[in-house]
Amino acid sequence: MIYSWKRIVRYGLPLLTLCVLIEIFAGTILQGGQNILLKIPIFLISIPVINSVGGNIGSILGARLASGLHVGYITLDIKDKKMHENFITSIFLGLITYGILAIIIYYVALFSDISMDIGLIEFILIILSVGILLIFIVSFASILTAFLSFKRGLDPDDFVAPVVTTVGDTMGIILLFFIIGVVIV
Amino acid sequence: MFAKEMLKQSLPLLIFCGLGGIVAGRTLGEMTDLLKNIPGLIVIIPAIIALRGNISTTFGSRLGSAYHLGVIDAENMWNVELKQNIIGSLILSFLVSITIGILAYSITIIFFDLNPNPIKIILIVILAGMLSGLILTLLTIIIIFAVFKRGYDPDNITGPALATFGDIITMFCIFGSAIFIEVLL
Repeated sequence: MIYSWKRIVRYGLPLLTLCVLIEIFAGTILQGGQNILLKIPIFLISIPVINSVGGNIGSILGARLASGLHVGYITLDIKDKKMHENFITSIFLGLITYGILAIIIYYVALFSDISMDIGLIEFILIILSVGILLIFIVSFASILTAFLSFKRGLDPDDFVAPVVTTVGDTMGIILLFFIIGVVIV
Repeated sequence: MFAKEMLKQSLPLLIFCGLGGIVAGRTLGEMTDLLKNIPGLIVIIPAIIALRGNISTTFGSRLGSAYHLGVIDAENMWNVELKQNIIGSLILSFLVSITIGILAYSITIIFFDLNPNPIKIILIVILAGMLSGLILTLLTIIIIFAVFKRGYDPDNITGPALATFGDIITMFCIFGSAIFIEVLL
């Protein structure tokens, strides 16, 4: 027997508890801004989308960096060209994905009779601004985690995904409220 | 060339995961009355989703490694290794769910001056956490079994599949648990 439930619980609990603590912080921000979300529910619909795309793009970038570092075509250098290319592609990928999904969310909300005081262009611009800022932050977190863990002889594959999804969830919510505050209030 | 390849391979999957996020978000949009009536409910949502994502993806990737190590395959699925993994995942879900409930209860009192029913919020988290845990564990086993049968590499498939269905199933479970507990208590 190579797996034991005791070991799974013992190794899983610390990182999981840390992630949950940070996510509770994200939830606390949601509770603080709950009135805005209930008044304009289209943003409530957008939250899981913003977070899942941010987390996914960060994880893809992290997995690519991890493979590159393992194989050796990416070096531990801030000026590494391949790393820059991956970073720029992530931003580009994020812009397209958030753009397409913003349009879909808008029409889903429109057809399900959700009250909206917001135009399509305004909504797309808000989602794109949140998206691009989020991808910047998530990509930095991803690069930093991949490089630091690899430098210490750890496997980046074990660390990038949990770090990136937690950072993405928290920052996604903070950025959304920040941009809504700037544009609407 | 390089960016084009990354776009071609990642964009469809990203959009697909984003659509899953819209379904989850739409469910959240339906919950506005519950969110108003149960203070603290919104605080637990990011944490439960993160808990679920974390436990099911590590469960999936351990099963993937077990397959590569040769201790589990389509003919020999239901063995002691799988059982230890299931027990470990469910115990983790239970322990961390209780933690989330207690934290959310304390935070709502301290920061928002609201007085939620502690039993209510903790029961909702435990019910939603365990229910989504059971469903997703079963789903992971079914996915892994189907992947083994076809001889694919589970590492390429379980991650994105669980990320997409995990968010939706978890959101449904939170919605269902909140209604159930609200009616019951």
